Amino acid sequence: MRNVLDRFKYNGLFVQMFIIMVVSIVAVSITATWTTMNVSSRVFMETFSITNSKIISQIRNGMDSFNYSIVLTSNKISQSGTIKQFLTEGSGDSSEMVGSYFQMGQQMNKIRSSVDAYEVGITVTGVNGRRYSTDRSYWPVPDDKLENHPITQRSLAEPRKLMYSYDDAESSGIPGIEPTIVASKTLVDRSGTVYGMVYFAVREPYFARFYNSNTSLGNDVAVIDKRGTIVSSNRNDWIGQRSPDLLRYAEEIEEKNLDYKNANIMGKDHLLLSEHISGLELYMVNVIDKKQVLGQLTDTKQITLIVMAIVAAAVIIVFLISRRLTKSLTRLVKQISTISKFEFDRHVKVDGSYETKQLGLAFNAMIDELNDYVSKLVETQKQQRNAELEALQQQINPHFLYNTLASVKFMVQQGNKEKAAETINALISLLQNAIGNVSEMITVQQELDNMKNYVFINQVRYGERIRVSYFIGPDCLNYRIPKLMIQPFIENAFFHAFNEKQEGYIYIMVAQEGTSLVCEVVDNGDGMNINGGIPKEVSKRQLFSGIGVRNVNDRIKLLFGEEYGVTITSEIGEGTRVKIRIPLLSSNNDPNF
Amino acid sequence: MKKLVTVLALSAVTAASLAACGSNSDNNTNSANNGTDNGGKAASKITVWAWDPNFNIKAMNLAKDAYAATNKDLTVDIVENAQNDIVQKLNTGMSSGTTKGLPNIVLIEDYRAQSFLQAYPDMFYDLSSVIKSSDFADYKLGPTSVDGKNYGVPFDSGVAGLYVRTDYLEKAGYTIDDLQDITWDQYIEIGKKVKEATGKDWISLDPNDLGIIRMMIQSAGSWYLNEDGKTPNIANNAAMKEAFEVYKSMMDANIVKIHSDWSQFVANYNNGDAASVPTGNWFTPSITAEASQSGKWAVAPMPKLAKTPNSVHATNLGGSSWYVLNVPGKEQAAEFLKATLGSDVNLYQKLVTDVGAIGTYKPATTGEAYTAANEFFGGQKIVQDFAKWTNEIPSVNYGMHTYAIEDILVVEMQNYLNGKKIDDVLKDAQAQADSSVK
Repeated sequence: MRNVLDRFKYNGLFVQMFIIMVVSIVAVSITATWTTMNVSSRVFMETFSITNSKIISQIRNGMDSFNYSIVLTSNKISQSGTIKQFLTEGSGDSSEMVGSYFQMGQQMNKIRSSVDAYEVGITVTGVNGRRYSTDRSYWPVPDDKLENHPITQRSLAEPRKLMYSYDDAESSGIPGIEPTIVASKTLVDRSGTVYGMVYFAVREPYFARFYNSNTSLGNDVAVIDKRGTIVSSNRNDWIGQRSPDLLRYAEEIEEKNLDYKNANIMGKDHLLLSEHISGLELYMVNVIDKKQVLGQLTDTKQITLIVMAIVAAAVIIVFLISRRLTKSLTRLVKQISTISKFEFDRHVKVDGSYETKQLGLAFNAMIDELNDYVSKLVETQKQQRNAELEALQQQINPHFLYNTLASVKFMVQQGNKEKAAETINALISLLQNAIGNVSEMITVQQELDNMKNYVFINQVRYGERIRVSYFIGPDCLNYRIPKLMIQPFIENAFFHAFNEKQEGYIYIMVAQEGTSLVCEVVDNGDGMNINGGIPKEVSKRQLFSGIGVRNVNDRIKLLFGEEYGVTITSEIGEGTRVKIRIPLLSSNNDPNF
Repeated sequence: MKKLVTVLALSAVTAASLAACGSNSDNNTNSANNGTDNGGKAASKITVWAWDPNFNIKAMNLAKDAYAATNKDLTVDIVENAQNDIVQKLNTGMSSGTTKGLPNIVLIEDYRAQSFLQAYPDMFYDLSSVIKSSDFADYKLGPTSVDGKNYGVPFDSGVAGLYVRTDYLEKAGYTIDDLQDITWDQYIEIGKKVKEATGKDWISLDPNDLGIIRMMIQSAGSWYLNEDGKTPNIANNAAMKEAFEVYKSMMDANIVKIHSDWSQFVANYNNGDAASVPTGNWFTPSITAEASQSGKWAVAPMPKLAKTPNSVHATNLGGSSWYVLNVPGKEQAAEFLKATLGSDVNLYQKLVTDVGAIGTYKPATTGEAYTAANEFFGGQKIVQDFAKWTNEIPSVNYGMHTYAIEDILVVEMQNYLNGKKIDDVLKDAQAQADSSVK
């Protein structure tokens, strides 16, 4: 989690840029797609309805000419004396009958030629019970059922009118009748007496040919009669069904003279176009399922997929490009943030785009300058410190000189000339060594001489109750150490370790430990209550120089680094152990600074 | 027969028109197959076109099943089309010279066969070596052959008989025995008596269909056309002259009920309004459809023409045969026909029992189905009788123009009935026919 947050933090720019880009791309593509689809479907719907209404007019023309043929034929039939005679005469002998039937057949053959272009079966029935069919198969109603057939009844109710009706096995109750459209007309003579009936039967599939070629999925045609029965349709499941809804819409379109109407039929949005075919007393309704038709125009699924693919491609490209743009920046930021924590001297890698490069260069330049400045500062501080130390070192405590000289005076007065001379010698060589460049390194041997001189002087002054022993590794004698490094600790031991105890030992040990040189000053005095820290100096008056134990530690750290320095362990009543660690410095690589 | 064909075809028009779409696509697939199979590989599928699902299609399905029992590899696709459609499609396809979409096997009415065989000689596959022509009724060989080569496998017999109501006969004092081997003149005399006794007409005729004339002249070995099948044979056709005279005397005797279509024709007999039917054997199912008349019918041999010496008591009305088209897969088609209708005696028994189709394959006539008695016809073995008459039918060449000439004759017949002299009638008809078929 933290890792992810970190990454997010480092890639913040990229993430923001990327998210904004993605959101924009998606928004633009969705808006564009939606608008295009909307506009195109509106335009399509409009042109579609225009085209369809033209097609409907064409279909109407086709149906009109069909109707005209039927009307002509029915007129010919009703005007034909031969047919009237055939339908009204009583039965005669075979010769008369054969003549009559033959004439009828010839007459009908002539008349039917006007509807030859259409697949129409003509049936003529007469009051004498005779029936003549050009082709019974179109509408195979048995002779005995024809008289009481609903179509006959309807026609009789409105004589002189050519009526189009729908018939199938279900609606007429006669098995074996396929969906058929029957045009029927009563045959009436001049006096108004009904002498027969003529039927023109067209099979529904044939009738449907008037418009079938213009239908398609979702673009259906239903022909409905004025009672709301769908007499013909390209949709087989609609044929013969009652649909008051459609009829209502068709009438509305007709009344208000609408171009088209949007309606919800069967739970779907439909576009309705309607044409009243007046001759046939039928409405032809073009039922367009918007969703399906538009579905063909715009394959939403495909468009969505394409848009998604484009968006995905764009997002990938955006990802790659913005990733590349921000990556160098991110890396730079990462480097900078680590550098600021630990190292000042490390440069960042200069790469990536121009801007990042410049940024990196500028940063590096800044780091360099900072580095310069810092090292100068360090140098200055070092010099300042050295100057301070030097000053301290050169301040040979006047009390020390006074006390020592006072002791020498007593020795001289007591006549102990030799000892006095010895003491004076020791003081001279001590001062010789002590006064000088504080940064000078001296060999362990020289420091040892100094210590011996110092200890000698002290023993002269205070007696020999504190004995000092030296354990110096012979291999260490030539290594170099800072001047007056060990002396302050011996001094410390002399003046603080033996306040309660009256006598004891101080051991000074110098040994090589790996790559370090370890000097120890161990006493068996009172010990003190410290926790590894360096005790405060107490009385300045007894000190040899201005350099105290604290200064030693600071100085070592300044010279050699943090891993070196002074550690003090002590136990009350047992004594104190001071351990000084410095690097091994052979005489020829004197770090002269 | 024209009416029969029309009616049979149209009685099935529903199925036919519905099947039309499906069958078209089937044909297309098949033709595609044919196309790809051109490379000498045996076709695994053959297509058959026929009309009338209750008769021809049913019969072909029996043949298909029989063949499938021994040959599983061949798929036989039987496609139903109205006869008019088949004629039209064959004419269209063959005249354009392309075999695409055409079937391997097609059923063609005998009256029309010559018009196809002669007009498109290269389109039919010679079956002379496939079937043994002597095994089939002689009269079937004329329509199915050209120049001695046999192109068709004869199928159903259109053998005609005289269906008659025995109960009406008895009322007039006759029995079925009185109708054996009579002439048409005798037939009319009996008819008059029956009408006197029962008030029922003796026969039902359609003035626009001269099937009865065709039956009469074929019984004398004559036809509308000469032996060459091309020149009309009317003016000097003694058989036709007598047939016309018989027709007129039937009318004059006032024993004829008139009908205008197949439904009325069948209704006239089913209602008991007419007492006898001289027609093809395929009329049997229409008679037996009226169960209440069971036992009241019998079948007598056809009357013959009295004045025409070579007229016999056997003739034909309608009937058709199977042809193999000269398209890829013809060998398989020929093999199929050879193994079934060309030799399978058992198949012919089934055709009689299951379909009611009497074949023209002579070896089959001794089978069980042929010799079975029919209770509807008072126990008469009508199939056997029909089969016997089949072999006696005079062979004629139906030629190429049967229906064209019939249209002329129909009109001239009315002129004759209206008092025109018979010689003038035939002369005029001859003149019209000469000019129309040339």
